[in-house]
Amino acid sequence: MNKENYQYYISGAFKLGAGFGIVSLLSRWVTGNTILSSPETLIKYGLTGGIGYSLMGAIALMLFGITAKKIRERYPDHQTLGDVLQEKLHPGGYIYMISLLLLLSIHSLFVQAMGAGILIHMIFPIPIYAGMFLFLFFCFLIGGVGGMQSLHKLSGVNITLIFSAVIIIPVYFFMQEGVYPVYDGIKLFHPYILYVKNTETIYFVLTAVLIGLGQVIIDRATWQRAFIIQKEKVRMTFILSGLIWATIPLALSSLLMIIIFGGSYDTIYSLLFELVERIQSTLLIVLFVLFCFSALSSATSAELHATTTLIVKNMLGRFRHLKDKEKLQYSYWIAGIISLFLLISVSLSERQPIELLFYFGNIYAAIITPMLYIILSKKRLATFVPLISLLGAAGGLAMLPILNSLLSIVVSFAISFVLCVLYFLFESIFSKYKVTNLS
Amino acid sequence: MLDVEAFSIYIMICVLAPLLGAFTLLFLFVFEKRIDLLEKQKREITLERELQTALYTQLNHEIQPHFFFNTLNSILGLARLDRKAELIHAIESLSKMLKFKYKTNSPYITIEDELAYIQYYLDIQKTRFRDRLHYEVSMDSDSAHAITIPFLIQTLVENAFKHSFEKHVGKAILRIGVTKNQQHVKVTVWNNSHQESDQNSHEGGLGLDNLSKRLKLFFPDSKTSIELNKGFDGTTVLATFPFINQSETQKGETTK
Repeated sequence: MNKENYQYYISGAFKLGAGFGIVSLLSRWVTGNTILSSPETLIKYGLTGGIGYSLMGAIALMLFGITAKKIRERYPDHQTLGDVLQEKLHPGGYIYMISLLLLLSIHSLFVQAMGAGILIHMIFPIPIYAGMFLFLFFCFLIGGVGGMQSLHKLSGVNITLIFSAVIIIPVYFFMQEGVYPVYDGIKLFHPYILYVKNTETIYFVLTAVLIGLGQVIIDRATWQRAFIIQKEKVRMTFILSGLIWATIPLALSSLLMIIIFGGSYDTIYSLLFELVERIQSTLLIVLFVLFCFSALSSATSAELHATTTLIVKNMLGRFRHLKDKEKLQYSYWIAGIISLFLLISVSLSERQPIELLFYFGNIYAAIITPMLYIILSKKRLATFVPLISLLGAAGGLAMLPILNSLLSIVVSFAISFVLCVLYFLFESIFSKYKVTNLS
Repeated sequence: MLDVEAFSIYIMICVLAPLLGAFTLLFLFVFEKRIDLLEKQKREITLERELQTALYTQLNHEIQPHFFFNTLNSILGLARLDRKAELIHAIESLSKMLKFKYKTNSPYITIEDELAYIQYYLDIQKTRFRDRLHYEVSMDSDSAHAITIPFLIQTLVENAFKHSFEKHVGKAILRIGVTKNQQHVKVTVWNNSHQESDQNSHEGGLGLDNLSKRLKLFFPDSKTSIELNKGFDGTTVLATFPFINQSETQKGETTK
């Protein structure tokens, strides 16, 4: 395939097998969020929270795998989530969904960039904007300019570094320190982590699965990968990706034990990065920094690429017909502008802990059923269907004064589910009535 | 609260889990291609076997003395009447048809080639049925290079002759249509036989079963079907299979 071809930019040159598909999905989903949210779950919900967080990603990816096979069967010529939305929604619904996707993309990119900012701030004695510039320039080159082919080329290295770090560092530490001192330290300073009979954890796992599935089902980069994995291997690839992904938060939670067993901590979100101060061996420091950089840069590059594609193919492409060369040029510009925006926003904002785990949780939970409806329905859907996600999210948020944040997310899901079912019934009865009247 | 043993097990799981993940990935990288190759070989062997069965069935069914002698008699008639141009055309068609039949050993064929083969067959039948036979062959340009299993349309056309035209008097009208519908190719063979025909007879049934089985083997991951419909105005057989361009198959083979 010609490199000047925009399809090459979006999908790369070849269909991925299961092995490469998993690597590509892992490099997308081992993100700054994984690094930053793991401590939060461990501290808030204890050891079961750590397992719950792993389960969330595994179940979400597996469930999407089941849907992905249907997606490939129903939309064999499409390349992006935007393409499917364009086919299945009327302009109003399409504009709403694309705007929502754009908002979530920018937020997700901001979180990754913020993660990189915190890491750079903690590790390197250079001004934050200089470090961020280098990081974002790298992501711009890989995701923005290189396209899918560059992402594929780098994902193998990223995953090797990620697995090397999560395997070698815990083994090294526990061999050096032993499990007993770590247990004693945690029992002394953080005994709450060791309590497992915590009913809230069950709610947490259920809610986290909803959020995870919501995140995956509207993730632009995941959809792109679902379209480039060999059709007969899509389901298996997603299921195995889920299972393999789950091992990484588990390993990260063991890393966290190493950090917190010695005493208290300042901020939850930058906890994992404090490992740098704990590690004595230079080789392991380099490995850990490379791990963080790989996770953050691969996810940021993939997200940057997917967002750029969304804007060029599914937004600008709607207004006027663009030639492949024009699309590529627009893509470079847009990726550059997004990177610049991230550089400015992260450099200017204070690197304060940000609420990550349940941020946009209501939207993610509320969008699952409308998205499934969009994917599985055979006809074009009314604008009301995507708007159900907004109603669900608003309904859940309105319940916040009465319910806690976990339950409000479940409420958001329930509202959108009920509304979708009602709309489906109404539509079925109404269309039958229309057919009867016509005949 | 978790005791130290349980905590140790938790840590052990946390430490070992990524190792398992990495091993799974490694295993996939090393063996995925081999497993794919084995699966492909297995499918090819089965397909080859089915093709041999189909060829055998075809030979048994078609080159029957009945068809062959009738054709020879028609050719003899043309020679006696000194209709040289038609005679040459008939012999040429018979020769090309036999050549194609004996040379086909690839598991797939393009629609264009399959229709060319049918054209020889119909040319021969035309010398036998003369004005009684009317046929139309239509194909949209998109599906010309689509691949299918050999003798798919041929078997359907032969069934029309064997079970309808040769058993009933009157006009013999045959329509063959090939269309591309989204990602599927639809082949329709219609004949005007509306009387009680024996298309469900053992032989016809075996032919359609064989086609259905071969289509499933050739397109293992997609939906395929063979449907027989008897209407008031005639009998239709509809074969549906996924659209795959010949160039994609060749590219795949070259890459491998």
